[in-house]
Amino acid sequence: MAFIPSRIKRHETNDGEVKLNLTSMMDMFTIILVFLLKVYSTQGQMIQPSQDLTLPNSTVQEHAEVALDLKVSKEWVVLNDKPVAKVADILSMNSLIIPPLAAQLRKYARQAQKMEEQFGTPFTGKVVIQGDKKLPYKVLVKVMATCGRSDYPNMRLLVYEKNG
Amino acid sequence: MAFKPSKRKRRPDATEPDLNLTPIMNLMVVLIPLLLTSAEFVKLGMIELNLPPAAGATAAAVSKMPQEVEKKLDLTVTVTDQGFYIASSAAVALGKAGEGPTIPKLADRYNYQKLTEYLYKIKQKASGVFRDDDKIIILAEPSIDYQTVVSTMDASRSIKVDGKWQPLFPDVSLGATVL
Repeated sequence: MAFIPSRIKRHETNDGEVKLNLTSMMDMFTIILVFLLKVYSTQGQMIQPSQDLTLPNSTVQEHAEVALDLKVSKEWVVLNDKPVAKVADILSMNSLIIPPLAAQLRKYARQAQKMEEQFGTPFTGKVVIQGDKKLPYKVLVKVMATCGRSDYPNMRLLVYEKNG
Repeated sequence: MAFKPSKRKRRPDATEPDLNLTPIMNLMVVLIPLLLTSAEFVKLGMIELNLPPAAGATAAAVSKMPQEVEKKLDLTVTVTDQGFYIASSAAVALGKAGEGPTIPKLADRYNYQKLTEYLYKIKQKASGVFRDDDKIIILAEPSIDYQTVVSTMDASRSIKVDGKWQPLFPDVSLGATVL
């Protein structure tokens, strides 16, 4: 005789435990891991383009490198996430060299040179410049001249690659 | 024998889902492909500009090498808001020094295509003859925007001839007109 479930008897409730289905979770984590590895394995991803500026487009093929990070947005000049000068001040300045930027760059240069003495890592004098694409050329030239005078003559301009 | 549900032998089955993962999986399936595709579009590139090391280098990054008797091309492209002016120490292939820009703006936009073709002609004449035949100096007026300068650099770097990319003047230096 087949068992007939009683209507009166109460259904056995759960005591609050939840059984987690782990297989799909593992699949998802594996895919996320693979994706992140793929994204961060290229050197260029170590440099995050800043949110306040739009990089210009270029057909250049070379990949980005890691170096000292100098961001020039429409309002601020930021070196390694520390604001250094305002673009408005730079526009009104008559001199070619930007003093606060030059001072900060020399500080970094000295640190890097000390590291070179202690650990032997060569000081390459590379700086990566991220500039907003609408930046007036005047500001760019002053920034680059300041870098050149402050022991960072090897400049790299960060751009978005586009084809054609 | 038919047992009550509570008395039926349970398989030692630990994978019975009580938590409904379907909506979470939905989200993941949408999110992961989205991130995967968006990762492709942002490809960062880099333009190399090396100034000579700070031995009194000014913004005009012309290298201060001792003047030699060899011929130098010293090719300069000046970007103004009227167009491109092309100049060189050796007045080869530049034709008349007329008024107006060498390559004026076309319908208020810069004519990069014509610039590239013009530079190609110069390159053909200059290559092998001058010592600095892959060097170009780009100057611009102070108010020209950065994207224009970068596009000028692109236009002078290489040209596609017969389906193959040929280098024009890959060694770029930036300079400034009066600031």
